[in-house]
Amino acid sequence: MPKPRLRWLAGLAGVLLLVVAAGLPQGVRAEYGDVVINNYSEAAGMRPVIFPHWFHRIRFRCKVCHADLGFKFKAGGNEINMLKIIDGEFCGACHNGEIAWSPENCNLCHSGKPGLKTQIHKSTVQTLVAPVQAGGKK
Amino acid sequence: MRRLRLFVLAVAALGLAGPAAAATGKEVVDTICAGCHRAGVLGAPRLGKAQDWKERLQQGRKTLYEHALKGFKAMPAKGGNPKLTDAEVRAAVDHMLSLAEADKGGAAGGGEAAAAKEATAAAPAPRAAPKPRVSAVNRFNRLLEKEADCNPPPPEDGIHDPENDGTHLLLPPKEAFTDLPKAPSGNCVDWVKALEDGYINPRYDRLDPNVQPIVMDLNIVREVKGSMPDVVYPHKQHTEWLDCSNCHPAIFVPQKGANQISMAAILLGQKCGACHGKVSFPVKDCRKCHSKKKPMTLQRTQTTQ
Repeated sequence: MPKPRLRWLAGLAGVLLLVVAAGLPQGVRAEYGDVVINNYSEAAGMRPVIFPHWFHRIRFRCKVCHADLGFKFKAGGNEINMLKIIDGEFCGACHNGEIAWSPENCNLCHSGKPGLKTQIHKSTVQTLVAPVQAGGKK
Repeated sequence: MRRLRLFVLAVAALGLAGPAAAATGKEVVDTICAGCHRAGVLGAPRLGKAQDWKERLQQGRKTLYEHALKGFKAMPAKGGNPKLTDAEVRAAVDHMLSLAEADKGGAAGGGEAAAAKEATAAAPAPRAAPKPRVSAVNRFNRLLEKEADCNPPPPEDGIHDPENDGTHLLLPPKEAFTDLPKAPSGNCVDWVKALEDGYINPRYDRLDPNVQPIVMDLNIVREVKGSMPDVVYPHKQHTEWLDCSNCHPAIFVPQKGANQISMAAILLGQKCGACHGKVSFPVKDCRKCHSKKKPMTLQRTQTTQ
């Protein structure tokens, strides 16, 4: 009797999905293109970093970071750490107190909710393929 | 077998019913109320600010319970979570009032601000109907994207931590976008138009503001299968932002016909999707790229086959 069993399994899967969906917090409306970087932050006791693409593209064209400074087109793919930044690499190429504010303002970058995964928020992949819940897991 | 089935479904249904144990006032405040009452969204009295609560408390605790349970102005009934029991809501109100009482310094003064707030709130705001829950996947349709979904301030965007002091120092995107041309999706900003019409002039060089980009004006037409109009890819708009090395040769082999591109790949973040759908405008408005009508003869042969 494969058919009824299939139907009941599908029903169960549906109910379980509903349970999971009901547990997801609503209301992640992050600005499109905001990159959450949590490679090392939380393990080191800091909040995850949120990089606002929109803020930077008003001031610099893509080429400056993605060609001259070597940022890869991949969230978390650059293995940035504070030592590199202080040495003037990656963010530190501008965030050095000269072109932009220095990395002493920890909480301006490290401003994400604990538990966020490294990813680009409101991206197509996040919306359609692998929706990830935001905020801490309750 | 049937008994097992019933048992599993019952367990699943229990999961839907939510936590059986009643939450304490503090738990409710931390998980639900704080969303608005921490930052004072839409004039909500803030947690631990005595002056915000002074006037309200004069109406009596019973009125406050009533407003919390049934909704009042911008405050939705039960904080927008109908699953809460009445007792849990009352416990949350009690907890918020105890937080306000603990704030001794703020009770004095602030009367003017409170009076002004009361004056602006004198006209009863229309009660918002409960929003139907639309899944993010359905919202992907650009026709379902609402103006209100665009550019929330950092403390309310769901990923910035409102408890972090730095979060409140960040520039809200709406302020930066005030004068920029609008678009229906993404940042709700038409970045290409903003650059072309001189609303913004981002640097092409990290240090020298006078370096001009090397622009290449060459359109590539990709004839696509099926009835969709052919794709026109403009090098001009892309080279104004990017360097050739950003795309060639890693993402696109610079040779006609050498690149396999499909919508599936793009939606999964490959090819055009390396940027479109992450930072550049998302692939929601088909005709932005599929913009060249197929020749008529071709269209006719397709329909007769």
